Amino acid sequence: MEGTAGLVFFTVAVATVATLLILAPGVAVAYALARWDGPGKGVVETVLALPMVLPPTAVGLVLLELLAANGPLGRVLDAWGVEVVFTPKAVVLASAVMAFPLLVRSARSGFEEVDPRLVAVARTLGDSRARAFFRVTLPLAWRGVLVGALLAFSRALGEFGATVLVAGNIPGRTQTLSLAIFHRTQLGEDAEALRLAGVAALLAFVAVYATEVVTRRRGRRVRA
Amino acid sequence: MALSIRLPLARFTLEVETRLEGASVAVMGRSGSGKTSLLEVLAGLRRGARGRVEVGGRVLLDSDAGVDVPPEARRMGYVPQDALLFPHLTVEQNVRYGVRGAKHSRADEAVSLLELSPLLRRYPATLSGGEKQRVALARALATDPALLLLDEPLAALDVALKERVLPYLLRVRDEAKVPMLYVTHQLGEARVLAREALLLDEGRVRAVGPAAEVLGPAVRGLLAAEGEAEENILEGVLERPEGGGLRLRVAEGLSLWVPDAPELAAGARAAYSVPSEDILLSTGPLTGVSARNVLAGTLARVEPAAAGEDAAYVDVGDVRWVVRLTTASVRELGVAPGARVYLAVKSAACRRLR
Repeated sequence: MEGTAGLVFFTVAVATVATLLILAPGVAVAYALARWDGPGKGVVETVLALPMVLPPTAVGLVLLELLAANGPLGRVLDAWGVEVVFTPKAVVLASAVMAFPLLVRSARSGFEEVDPRLVAVARTLGDSRARAFFRVTLPLAWRGVLVGALLAFSRALGEFGATVLVAGNIPGRTQTLSLAIFHRTQLGEDAEALRLAGVAALLAFVAVYATEVVTRRRGRRVRA
Repeated sequence: MALSIRLPLARFTLEVETRLEGASVAVMGRSGSGKTSLLEVLAGLRRGARGRVEVGGRVLLDSDAGVDVPPEARRMGYVPQDALLFPHLTVEQNVRYGVRGAKHSRADEAVSLLELSPLLRRYPATLSGGEKQRVALARALATDPALLLLDEPLAALDVALKERVLPYLLRVRDEAKVPMLYVTHQLGEARVLAREALLLDEGRVRAVGPAAEVLGPAVRGLLAAEGEAEENILEGVLERPEGGGLRLRVAEGLSLWVPDAPELAAGARAAYSVPSEDILLSTGPLTGVSARNVLAGTLARVEPAAAGEDAAYVDVGDVRWVVRLTTASVRELGVAPGARVYLAVKSAACRRLR
């Protein structure tokens, strides 16, 4: 039972850190996509959506190649004495990469709902671009951002394919709930695997329910 | 105010070269003649404008000298057509939105002038069209702007006749004494509000100068049909004929009995509005009616105005009146453009604007 608590704690911690890590860049990218309409926008959008449609193991493989000690990023990190592959950092990174498109997608539709003319009015009232963003754009888009963060968190909770490649499946070190379920099944401990699946279902329920609540309140909100 | 602006638009280039006194300027023209773009250039919201803009002795744009003051530093009080209140803020927060950055707050004055006290805790979504317009006006006024830029503040479709913003605008002009530049379709409103007028056509200035000269009867051809008001606005000089009562002399041969009020002196200029649904239209001369004003005119045209309602436009001398009638009564009257018709206006229906 203590093992389960540790697993749940680690899984939730990884998903939380991964979500917090992508929050600022995700919001920035979402805002840029909502407002910018230049050449190549479609290509950028497609590249950003790729982790959602590629096999997660393919994403994991790319991350592994990049971060391995002799990979292009791995060499730089190695010089700084940072080790990522097969550590908890790799779990966070894999979850973050897989969750990023979900955050961007939802936050972006939140930003797209904000009338840019409201921002223009804010500027005539003395706001710089940055101030208008924090006083008008973000407060009006925050539900989209929050829903995106919750979706990203839910996605990170259940991440498997990318994680297993880049972080391995090391009990007590890189093993999350979803990895543990796989591990127990491999060992033939189906009852234990099923119990863990139940725990995972409970976690997922809470995260998705929170998303639903936020989304429903958005529908009720009166608009000017 | 000195303007020398060039801005390429989709169909034509906006070219405005003029010098205005700037206390109260009506900008008129058909839809798509560049009126809104002109306001946006003044507010600093349009990239790509070339030339020079000087307001109140301050240079806001001088593309040759590389000057382009950002909108937040221009002190332009911009009131967009659809009010564009911040939906996540209360009325009070909307009004005070720009106060922090303004040197001198006029928020309290704006709230009292526009009678917003009862609305302060409400959210924009719960306001009527006219209330939204007043809040947007107060929000701009509160920052103590050097110039108010009003984009058809009276044209919002959901603004009911009875809650028109015009009387408030007159108070802003006369009591708050803020210079304003004001886009409108409606000749009557422009005549009442403006001291100067600028007439745009396809991005070019067709006429500019004192409102009384520019907004004469000849201007009508340059305005679209939508330029006709829903409300009749009449400006003139008050008269106190022998035998009592108060009359507004609008033009040679056109005077109206208006409600008497002791504070109004003969010889003063005044403006009144008459709602289009408060006028009776008749095909024969009216005698023995209680309405004190009976005017003879010519029916210019009739067009649908709302479900089951038509608007009849009647020329009485140089003044075009609009009368709301049910479609059924128009049919029963059987009138056609060019017909001689008579209008009956109760003096009580004439509301004083100033």
